[in-house]
Amino acid sequence: MSIIKAKRFPFGSPVHGTKLSRFAEINNVPAPEKVYISLSQHIGAPALPAVSPGGKVKKGQLIGRAAGTVSANVYSSVCGTVSEVTELVNGLGQKQTHVIIENDGGTDEIRFEKISDLSPQSVIERIALAGIVGLGGAGFPTAVKLSPKTQLEVLVINGAECEPYLTCDDRLMLEKTEEIYQGIKIMAGAIGVTRIVMGIERNKPLAIEAFSKYEDIGVAPLKKQYPMGSEKHLIYSTTGKKVPPGKMPFDVGACVQNVKTALAVYEAVALNKPLTETVLTVSGRGVKTPKNLRVPLGTPYSYLIDYCGGTVGNTAKLICGGPMMGKALISGEHYTRKTDSGILVLTDGETDSKAPSNCINCARCADKCPMRLMPMKIERCALENDFAGAEKLGAMNCIECGLCAYNCPAKRALVQSIVTAKQKIREMKKNG
Amino acid sequence: MDNTVLTYSPAPHLKANITTRKIMADVCIALLPACVMGVVYFGLKALLILALSLFSAVASEFIFLLAAKKPFREIVREFDLTSCVTGLLVGLTIGTNYPWYAPIFGSVFAVVVVKMLFGGTGKNIVNPAIVGRIFIFMSFQSVVGEWLAPSIGPLSGQSPATGATILTGILNGTPSPLSNWDLLLGTGLAGCIGETCKPALIAGGIYLAARKVINISYPVIYIAVTGLFSVCLSGFDFSVFLPSVLSGGLILGAIFMATDYTTTPDTAIGKILYFTMLGLLTAGLRYATKMETVSFAILLMNLLVPLIDRFIINKPFGYKRKKKEAENG
Repeated sequence: MSIIKAKRFPFGSPVHGTKLSRFAEINNVPAPEKVYISLSQHIGAPALPAVSPGGKVKKGQLIGRAAGTVSANVYSSVCGTVSEVTELVNGLGQKQTHVIIENDGGTDEIRFEKISDLSPQSVIERIALAGIVGLGGAGFPTAVKLSPKTQLEVLVINGAECEPYLTCDDRLMLEKTEEIYQGIKIMAGAIGVTRIVMGIERNKPLAIEAFSKYEDIGVAPLKKQYPMGSEKHLIYSTTGKKVPPGKMPFDVGACVQNVKTALAVYEAVALNKPLTETVLTVSGRGVKTPKNLRVPLGTPYSYLIDYCGGTVGNTAKLICGGPMMGKALISGEHYTRKTDSGILVLTDGETDSKAPSNCINCARCADKCPMRLMPMKIERCALENDFAGAEKLGAMNCIECGLCAYNCPAKRALVQSIVTAKQKIREMKKNG
Repeated sequence: MDNTVLTYSPAPHLKANITTRKIMADVCIALLPACVMGVVYFGLKALLILALSLFSAVASEFIFLLAAKKPFREIVREFDLTSCVTGLLVGLTIGTNYPWYAPIFGSVFAVVVVKMLFGGTGKNIVNPAIVGRIFIFMSFQSVVGEWLAPSIGPLSGQSPATGATILTGILNGTPSPLSNWDLLLGTGLAGCIGETCKPALIAGGIYLAARKVINISYPVIYIAVTGLFSVCLSGFDFSVFLPSVLSGGLILGAIFMATDYTTTPDTAIGKILYFTMLGLLTAGLRYATKMETVSFAILLMNLLVPLIDRFIINKPFGYKRKKKEAENG
């Protein structure tokens, strides 16, 4: 009944890599002895510390106050004592202010007061208060995204989860169907749209089935193709609208939200809970038992890997996120943030590190590019430091999905060159 | 966990299981049926020519790199089989009427001058095998005997087919003793080692398409345009369609030489333009010069590729033409 037909998707290509943990139920991870909560878990200004060392905090207590509109509140994920508020280098090599809290095992939890009415304004205020950001990975404050200047037409829910290995969205859609549905309805009410479409890849038939029972959501079963979960491409395949280059989804009247964000919205509005946990997948051949976990924010990655039985074999790479767009970590001393969706422990056989050879001009990168760019040409410009030329070729439109480098038979670092070119172009524009 | 050395590198952390070497190995496999049929039709001389051209192409690449002071082990590790493809194609595009040493000159010229001197794989501006073939064709004209027909087919009892290939006969209006079936199967058809037996070439083409090495629609465009334009040039005589498609090196050239990655445009539109122009040029030159022109047409179009790539560039997803936007706003 509420299954809608997806648009033909002529972009991208399938990628290999299995979803090892697709049948693993989401486990609640007990909080570790110490949590390291970053105050910069979102796009925008870092939150300002609201606690000082030595202070007692409860679970759900505000520890970082949003600094401006494009910022987000941060809450404690455990009960205990603040031992330090300090700058730490995380596993990505970024220096960020972290609040370190020693867990005393307490179970007290602070919740918001019951929301007075479900008017758009109070809902959006609540979402901002709860510190909810785009949990699909972007980390853009959800409240800002839900209050655009123009009237929107459609709410697009992203359940595509096109990255290999990651299964946390899939599991959430199965285990928290009703909660996610309520969250979606709350968001739709907040932006005042009645049309809701949801894109789920066909490799998650149970999730498609689960959501197709709701009459007011149009579920579009999507081809299993990477990068289906990209915002612009999801809008195209579910609604047929094309977001022009350089424009945002709201320019075509669409708002895209991830299923995980929908769950967080439900918990903030209906259960009055601030965002203190995230759901992620620990996977890869290098981890003993791949699992889906509900994790208190600030939990060290090494703790989570040990929770999954530790590593097996020779670990080649540790990745925060999915294998296509995730970032390699320099150590396991990285701390769970709101936007995390996966921890991958990849072994030598899984990840490829062949030396690049000459481009043979096979044009596979251009054929597969979801943005219809020509990566080989942009790379050539980037290597010759011709960044104006790279911009002319549309480098700024790159969504950094990594398909060009994935498909390159010569193993060239295509997307990496484009990312460099984008940075240089931004610098050029800044300096005039 | 603590003692492992982690690799740090930018995303993506997965790569498709595809390398230049694997693609080139597929091309070599696709050429095998044509090689086998060449030897069946033209005998051991064909085998000798193929072996010599293959060997000299690979050897010249190694010698060139060794002379450039590259360690042998590295050469072996980075060897991507492109020179095997070049060598085989040079051998397949000459006839058994050439002296046995001719393919050596062709392969060495193709690999050293056309490919390596320009910077190796992917850096050449024209197809090495085409130039190698033309180099032999030009250089050995005075010592080449008549084209030989294979030992199977309607002409097998006679002396070697007189003077020229069947194609020249068709172009000059001389009636051909061969049926279209003979042209298709190559029975009694004089010509180069690899170009007479079309089913073998088509099988190779289908293999490449199935392995997603080439997009079969491009060679089909080339072959169809050549056939149709020949029909136009002959005053809409549709009986010349099949002979002009099936004779000469058209199918070999269309499937294996015109589709060479390095010397084709980057975009789909550019490729359609390129293969259409190839078809027009091949048919046009055939009628103008009364000889086989596939290799010259490909060579000429190779040189136009940078021009096509300069002007035909993909537009990003969601792009609308400026004019349209002005109308809307």
